[in-house]
Amino acid sequence: MSRFLLIVLMSFFSIFSASAANADFMRSIGKIYVVVGVMLLLFLGITLYLILIDRRLTKFENQIKSDE
Amino acid sequence: MIEKGKIWKFSGVILIVYVIIAGLLIPLKPGIESVEPSYGNAGETLKIQVTGYNTHFKEAGNSLRAWLKWDNGKAIAATEMVALDERRMNLTFSIPNNLPENTEVQAVTLLIDSETDGTSVLPSAIFLTQTEEVIAAEEVPWVKPANFSNNGMITFPFRNILGETIRNTYFHVPLWFGMMFLFLFAVIHSIKYLRKGDAESDLKAEAYTQTGIIYGLLGLITGALWAKNTWGAYWSWDIKQNMTVVALLIYAAYFILRASFEDPEKRARVCAAYGIFAFSTLIPLLYVIPRLTDSLHPGSGGNPAFGSQDLDNTMRMVFYPAVIGFTLFGFWLSSLQFRYLRLQKLREDLD
Repeated sequence: MSRFLLIVLMSFFSIFSASAANADFMRSIGKIYVVVGVMLLLFLGITLYLILIDRRLTKFENQIKSDE
Repeated sequence: MIEKGKIWKFSGVILIVYVIIAGLLIPLKPGIESVEPSYGNAGETLKIQVTGYNTHFKEAGNSLRAWLKWDNGKAIAATEMVALDERRMNLTFSIPNNLPENTEVQAVTLLIDSETDGTSVLPSAIFLTQTEEVIAAEEVPWVKPANFSNNGMITFPFRNILGETIRNTYFHVPLWFGMMFLFLFAVIHSIKYLRKGDAESDLKAEAYTQTGIIYGLLGLITGALWAKNTWGAYWSWDIKQNMTVVALLIYAAYFILRASFEDPEKRARVCAAYGIFAFSTLIPLLYVIPRLTDSLHPGSGGNPAFGSQDLDNTMRMVFYPAVIGFTLFGFWLSSLQFRYLRLQKLREDLD
């Protein structure tokens, strides 16, 4: 789980570092890759939130199991 | 197939799918990307090369027309037009000896019109300099640009600095609208709790606040990426950016406050009051203070964000569904969070 979280976080940073390292690429074709980046960040962010809820539920489930 | 109570979740997703498809597939209106050189002198024969975006200079053929227009309405037509390819064109203008305005340097707008592309405008395309020496008056063939073509295509507006990133309007801006709705519902449930003392209202307020903060954070980082490629830096210490961070920090304190109480009833009461306070700071921080000073962000520094400059009718057809879609999606995320909190509370009550 935490490894997955790490991958998501790394993708966040790679979007930013890619846009910083290669401004020409980000600004080619009328800056369309900025839109791609924004959509990716949005998707990753929502995924991160789902992972958060998922983890809490798993913990909760385990508690119930141990109660029984 | 879909239960009645789930239709709103489903429609939120459908709206977002529509927004992604329409928001990415509708092309930008043909526009002028750059002009080289961007300066000239009075009285000279000025040759410029125009680089267009989504243009069809070759295909337009004889229907191409071009003007240089001064702010006072006077304009001169291009004397020669040579399309190099679909995106590049050479224009020649004979600049009058006596420029029509009194300043030394005058900015002129470039207008290009053709049947295939419609009208493209580049404000302040060329800066013309006129020296003080008086030159004999001449007959200048002033024209009035008219009979603009309309190619009838469905397009998004072309803005020089934005380019394709104008599409971010459907992904970055709705996050903030969604956040406002989520915080609004949080405050409604906080008030409900204070009036009726129903523990579920408190949990709902917590769930909405949490999703609202997630939306706010996503709005900040998508905004930073957008800003890097239009304003030039991820963070410009712009008033809008700073005030947004302050607002989000005020909301972050809500969770610190929640964690610091043992007694659930006391926690619910104090947090409900704090939630109302946090919401009441949100409006001045996000919508009042940035308007009072200069800001890079649209909708600040006196310029309203929803003038015809920023959002045309085609954009509205995508933008409003985007706002509704992302808001419904946020409610769905909050409901998941709320159901988890309710389950946990049930279990605590059983113990």
